[in-house]
Amino acid sequence: MIPILSIMIFVPIIAAILVYFIGRYSIKGARIFALIVSTIILLFALYSYARVLESGAGQDILFEEGPWDWIPTFSGVDYHLGIDGLSAPLILVSAFLTVLVVLGSWELIQTRQGLYYALILLFAGSVIGVFTSLNLLLFYVFWEIVLIPMFFLIGIWGGSRRKYASMKFLLFTYVGSIIMLLGFIILYIFAAPTFDIKDLSIVQIPFWVQTIVSIATFIGFGVKLPVVPFHTWLPDAHVEAPAPISVLLAGVLLKMGGYGFIRVNVTLLPEASAEYGWIFIIIGIFTMFYGALVALIQKDLKRMIALTSINHMGFVLLGIFTLNLYGISGAIFQMFNHAVAIGLLFMLSGYIHEQTGTREIPLLKGLKDKIPRTSTLLVLASMAGMGVPIFASFLSEYMVILGAIYYDIRLAVSMLIPAITVGYFLWMLRRTVMSPVENKESNHLHDIKTFSLIHLTLYLIPLVILLIMPWLILNMTDQFAESLISLIGR
Amino acid sequence: MDTPILLILILGSTALIIPAINLILKREKQGKAAAVISIISLSLSLLLIIYQSVLTPLDLKPSSSLLFRNDLMGLFFAFSVIIVSLFVTIASLDYMKNQPNESVYYSLILFTSLGMSLLAFSVDLILIAVSWELMSIPTYILTGFKKQDSKSNEAAIKYFIMGSLSTGAILYGISLVYGMTGTTNLFRIVEESGRIANDFYPMGILAMLLLVAGFGMKMSIVPFHAWIPDTYEGAPTTISALLSAGTKKSAFVIAIRVFVIALPVLQLDWQLTFAILSLLSMTFGNIAALTQKKITRMLAYSSIAQAGYMLIGLTVALKSDFGLTGVLFHVFTHAIMQTGAFLVAAVVAKNIGSVDLDSYKGLGSRMPFTSFTFIFILLALAGVPPLNGFWSKLVLFTGAIDGGFTWLAIAGLLNSAFSVGYYAWIIKRMYLDEGEITKVNESSIFKVVLISITIIIVITGIFPGPIYEFARLAVANLN
Repeated sequence: MIPILSIMIFVPIIAAILVYFIGRYSIKGARIFALIVSTIILLFALYSYARVLESGAGQDILFEEGPWDWIPTFSGVDYHLGIDGLSAPLILVSAFLTVLVVLGSWELIQTRQGLYYALILLFAGSVIGVFTSLNLLLFYVFWEIVLIPMFFLIGIWGGSRRKYASMKFLLFTYVGSIIMLLGFIILYIFAAPTFDIKDLSIVQIPFWVQTIVSIATFIGFGVKLPVVPFHTWLPDAHVEAPAPISVLLAGVLLKMGGYGFIRVNVTLLPEASAEYGWIFIIIGIFTMFYGALVALIQKDLKRMIALTSINHMGFVLLGIFTLNLYGISGAIFQMFNHAVAIGLLFMLSGYIHEQTGTREIPLLKGLKDKIPRTSTLLVLASMAGMGVPIFASFLSEYMVILGAIYYDIRLAVSMLIPAITVGYFLWMLRRTVMSPVENKESNHLHDIKTFSLIHLTLYLIPLVILLIMPWLILNMTDQFAESLISLIGR
Repeated sequence: MDTPILLILILGSTALIIPAINLILKREKQGKAAAVISIISLSLSLLLIIYQSVLTPLDLKPSSSLLFRNDLMGLFFAFSVIIVSLFVTIASLDYMKNQPNESVYYSLILFTSLGMSLLAFSVDLILIAVSWELMSIPTYILTGFKKQDSKSNEAAIKYFIMGSLSTGAILYGISLVYGMTGTTNLFRIVEESGRIANDFYPMGILAMLLLVAGFGMKMSIVPFHAWIPDTYEGAPTTISALLSAGTKKSAFVIAIRVFVIALPVLQLDWQLTFAILSLLSMTFGNIAALTQKKITRMLAYSSIAQAGYMLIGLTVALKSDFGLTGVLFHVFTHAIMQTGAFLVAAVVAKNIGSVDLDSYKGLGSRMPFTSFTFIFILLALAGVPPLNGFWSKLVLFTGAIDGGFTWLAIAGLLNSAFSVGYYAWIIKRMYLDEGEITKVNESSIFKVVLISITIIIVITGIFPGPIYEFARLAVANLN
């Protein structure tokens, strides 16, 4: 059998080295090679996704590789991969976004391109590693590798405060993940001498261990997600990063946090998650309100989008810890939709910055007349961000809110969030797209080329498809969530 | 035949012969010839050690004489320090080019390597003292090798005084142990311990403290660390690599042998002592490293912090299997990383003429090759997976929790997180900051050394199994 998952991880990592050397001779060659590699990975991801969907058993682990001993005498340190109804959608969306990011960088990135595409591929490979690892230590290894390319991508190609942003990003996430590692080691010593997720999920872990470990992992995953006390790296990193990298940050990197919460906190520490779930839910609600309200007052378009990310990831946290079918399934769905929608928004902010020279909302006027194509896409993307029922983001937010109300009727307060989100998006659109043009002479702006129009439109396709046929994803996430809930109820 | 005796033959004879080159060859050729002979001799020793440990680990005679013990522990440490010496020697080929007395320099490196390897195999307190001196005295001279440079002289004098004190402390400690037990052989001490009267308990504490202080000075742990930054800064940078990656590690093997084999029988609570020293070293080392403006001093403090991590393993040596394995593992990984870091500092100092951290600004485009390898070395030092530094720290921290010192593991992990601040800061300087743009010539010798080190870091990071197994077996066969 072909080890599909290993191929998806290591082909991009090895290709990264090749891209760097190709880039020294031909920039075009590097771009095309990166595109080919990422497309191949996307095809593999689609294939594995289809297989999970077709199997009709989202709770089962497919394409399992291993466990193979990594350090034979250090028991429990294995190389163990596999995908199920939780990881398949996230792998698909990361592979999808990687292709689009490679396409989107052709116009927006002009310096040191060989290195740039090499780092993107390294990132892509290691992220798939995070989503497929079934061993906590392997998971941690990939989790940390992800940081390194991201540090350079923000630091080298970022905006004016890029050094500050990249250092802050690195330190925050590194400290968070070290604390997470502490939780893993405690699990290893006090629960069972193994790091294997499959083995650990069978073991009855003492409640006090569960409690300590969930605090540690909450910090690790919470920094990535991000939840509110640990979120301050996010606006800086997202704003300073170039637009395609913001797509990867918001679309892929943040998902690692949500994935970790489900894979580790809910799966391995079910009693602690059930007992203390209300704390996480309150933090989730707080995160949503914080993101939405702070986004309301932003003047920088990109910062506003970054805070929308915080707002949307609050939905994920809320959904996960309701610990019911709607919540968990909705949270996975929400992660998928958010990745695509926020990706398009970030790309558009990059293009708008490129075309008008600014991202300040008050300075952007009359975009409807100046750059009609971009404006149309911005309106559509905002609708995806708001959760208007022409895109799948509506469904996922609806599911999470439904799950929250099932958990506790008072959580209906979360219904306010979409209202605020709609509010600030519409206000932003009114000021930028719909406003009258002030000075006619600056009408020489170039609108995006047809090529960009096409690849930006690609972002919207999954959102439309999933609105019409939500079973394409829910069939696997529902089963996954059901098996998880039965595990908790045990 | 015994590995240590073969090593005496190989390394000792070459070390004695090398200065004679001065009589035969012209001045320009002396250095190169001496270096090549040293490299051959060190490579032979390395091959011998690998041969012994890979092909005949089970045929090793546990104790062929009362002075040496030809075991895997000794082989492991000899392996680590000889690799370091080999890299340092190769790098010196470029770094010391056309300096006065080159052949003596190489001869001294061989002597100190011999001292380090003998120390790894010693199980007798007298031989420990002798090898300790054989290891130390050449490094005093090497530290002051740039005799026109006042910093180098200051470093050497400071090092010499501290070194003599530590030797004195060790000898005093040994004499007390001898007085109590009537023997200097470590295994005999264990046997004789039954006869020690309870009145000797205070003397036991004194002996332990003296030994901790004596070894601790070389192990670079707080509060015996004061000489470290000055010496590492003043010494020729290749020698700093040898000191921090080589001699320091030998102090650890002796600490393991003495404290883990012999001293438990005295029933002293050295574990808490080590735990506190470890906490102090980690915290102080990392905080001080963050404030440094010179790379050599920063690496010196980082080496103090790393010694603190290793002490975690010694602390739990008797309680967890991971403890000592972690120490050995970290000794090896840190030896490689630290050699690499100091050699990068050496090549930068030689070509740019500065050890200031500010001169690393924009180094990524000035010295692309060196900077690229430095990324791996720094990330490994910070403990980022999948590089080797991650695994050894993981084993150490797992050991700490396993051995009931959870607070020490938390302190270690937080320190490790803290340390990424200054390691990443160098990467930031090299790649994100703008500096001068003139290209700097990177010599092929350094390129070879640095790429080998990087490959070892990556390979042992991705496949940590063999080296972990080596360390584990060495610990399992300790007694």
